[in-house]
Amino acid sequence: MLQILLIAFRNLLAHRRRTLLLGGAIAGVTAVLIVLMSVTNGMKATMLESATTLMSGHVNVGGFYKVTAGQSAPVVTGYPKLIETLKKELPELDYVSQRGRGWAKLISDTSSVHVGISGIDVEGEPGFRKIIQVREGRLDDLNQPGTILIFEEQAKKLEVRVGDTMTISAPTIRGTNNTLDVRVVAIAANVGMMSSWNTFVPSKSLRDLYQLKDDTTGAVYLYLKDMKDIPAVQQRLREKLAEAGYTLMDNDPRAFWMKFEVVNRESWTGQKLDITNWEDEISFVRWVVQALSFLTGFLGFVLLVIIAVGIMNTLWIAIRERTREIGTLRAIGMQRRRVLVMFLTEALMLSLTATLTGAAFASALCLFINAQEVRAPEVVQVMLLTENWFLKVEPGSVTLAVTLITLCAMVVSLIPSFLAARMKPVTAMHHIG
Amino acid sequence: MSLSAEPIVSINEVTKDYHLGKVVVPALRGVTLQVHPGEFISIAGPSGSGKTTLLNLIGCVDTATSGVVRVAGKDTKQLSERKLTDLRLHTIGFIFQSFNLVSVLSVFQNVEFPLLLQKKLNASQRRERVMALLEQVGLANHAKHRPNELSGGQRQRVAVARALVTQPQIVLADEPTANLDSVTGQQIIDLMKAMNRERGTTFIFSTHDAKVMTHANAVVRLADGKVLDRVTPAEAGVALAAGGH
Repeated sequence: MLQILLIAFRNLLAHRRRTLLLGGAIAGVTAVLIVLMSVTNGMKATMLESATTLMSGHVNVGGFYKVTAGQSAPVVTGYPKLIETLKKELPELDYVSQRGRGWAKLISDTSSVHVGISGIDVEGEPGFRKIIQVREGRLDDLNQPGTILIFEEQAKKLEVRVGDTMTISAPTIRGTNNTLDVRVVAIAANVGMMSSWNTFVPSKSLRDLYQLKDDTTGAVYLYLKDMKDIPAVQQRLREKLAEAGYTLMDNDPRAFWMKFEVVNRESWTGQKLDITNWEDEISFVRWVVQALSFLTGFLGFVLLVIIAVGIMNTLWIAIRERTREIGTLRAIGMQRRRVLVMFLTEALMLSLTATLTGAAFASALCLFINAQEVRAPEVVQVMLLTENWFLKVEPGSVTLAVTLITLCAMVVSLIPSFLAARMKPVTAMHHIG
Repeated sequence: MSLSAEPIVSINEVTKDYHLGKVVVPALRGVTLQVHPGEFISIAGPSGSGKTTLLNLIGCVDTATSGVVRVAGKDTKQLSERKLTDLRLHTIGFIFQSFNLVSVLSVFQNVEFPLLLQKKLNASQRRERVMALLEQVGLANHAKHRPNELSGGQRQRVAVARALVTQPQIVLADEPTANLDSVTGQQIIDLMKAMNRERGTTFIFSTHDAKVMTHANAVVRLADGKVLDRVTPAEAGVALAAGGH
């Protein structure tokens, strides 16, 4: 075997130009594939982190409260007790937060926009600080009642700066409009499409706006240690909350704001809880992630085809050049299987070295890009929910790319190698060319 | 030289046809030949007479269209491809006209290669065997050289060493001196002859060089795919001088 390795290695060295060209191509394709996967992984991770911090938990216990049959509000009553129950029943839980939910008109001196309003206790949400990049003002000031955090895009539209006052006007469950004056305490960097329709006020201010009790909120966000547990946790929650006496809505995998129409048509009154997960609440993230995965898969396939044709062609040439050598080796007693192994070893050596080189280069490039904090185009920012590119090099993806391309190289090498092994020694020995 | 009664190569009424498109080209037409262990036989004849084809059949790198080829007591037609390869590895050594060395291996590694395929000897035994042979062919100092760093004669000596390293019963040499100058060719034949004498290895080599034939115990003359006769080198020389085959 050592001799076969030596022959393979020296043959690769003997045909330096060909080896470099093909090895370079394989390394290049590997690098492109890994960078693509890192972009996709990075986008997935960023989107997921941003979206699940700003707009949803991994699992949400939201709900609707109806004073009359035809009027509903996204309200959960007695949330401290609910959180207690949740903490008791869910060992998978990492941490819990609660957010008020509302929809209102935000009015400045010069303009107005319709936005979603989240009530937040900013002190209790360390993840929020990580995602939100404050461009102007201070995030800590969002603790004070009558304050608001808006995004750059909204600030530009409303022509306001930190310190300016605006009015929130929100329709209530009773059909009247309540208003609340708020002071802009922080303007955050845009986070994609989030920047258009979301604002944050202290929980207490949201409750004041809607004249709700202190123990009410919009939804309880549950963050799990492992997102793989989401389906199991959802299932268990339904059982445990029902056992604890809560009334639950039927499972409806849609965002809460899409359910008002259905809920308002139903005849019940009082409180019903609704259990959703992040995919239900922010389905656009799932679509984008699926589209990205498809795109990466498609591009990966195209790259693999290109490299497969290249490898096969090169191996054909190599075998043609070495036909006499094959004949000689067969004549002096080398079995067909060993000839096959010899060529496969050569292909393996080349492809593995090239893919590992490509992987190392791609990983270094990704780390470099991350370190440079390269700004993503605006259209990408919309999906990313952040401003900068983040290329996430996952060991699993790198291993997958290296294995896939090496395997592909081996598979396409099988055909010419097999035909070389099948050659009759006498035919091979008298080959001219 | 005393020859054993049992032939090591026995060819009986062998034919070999090649198909060139729809045309059938007969290369051998009913050849019968017996070679005994220890013989140093030359197969002579003009180009296209079937010398290489006959050697290919004896060397088990090709199969006959009809007839029986027995090598070391085995009917080659009855052997699987795997068994034929094993027979070549353990029983036959090859010396080719164009040397056919593996260009990326050193002299030592080229000679060692058949031993590695055999898997009989350990590393130090292999080293000892290879170096002894390289010493015999006068290339011990060139063990680390690559074939492209050697002259034609030196390469053919490496090929001789490679053919002999497994201590085969038969060595087949197809025009071993054709690509060499007369002096170097003579050295190669002398070397083969010495090996034949010292080790009792059977040598069957093809040539159309009368000088080379003179070293053989017997000359099998081929023409148009048939054995004309089996003569002594002197008789073959006379025939050549007279303008015959």
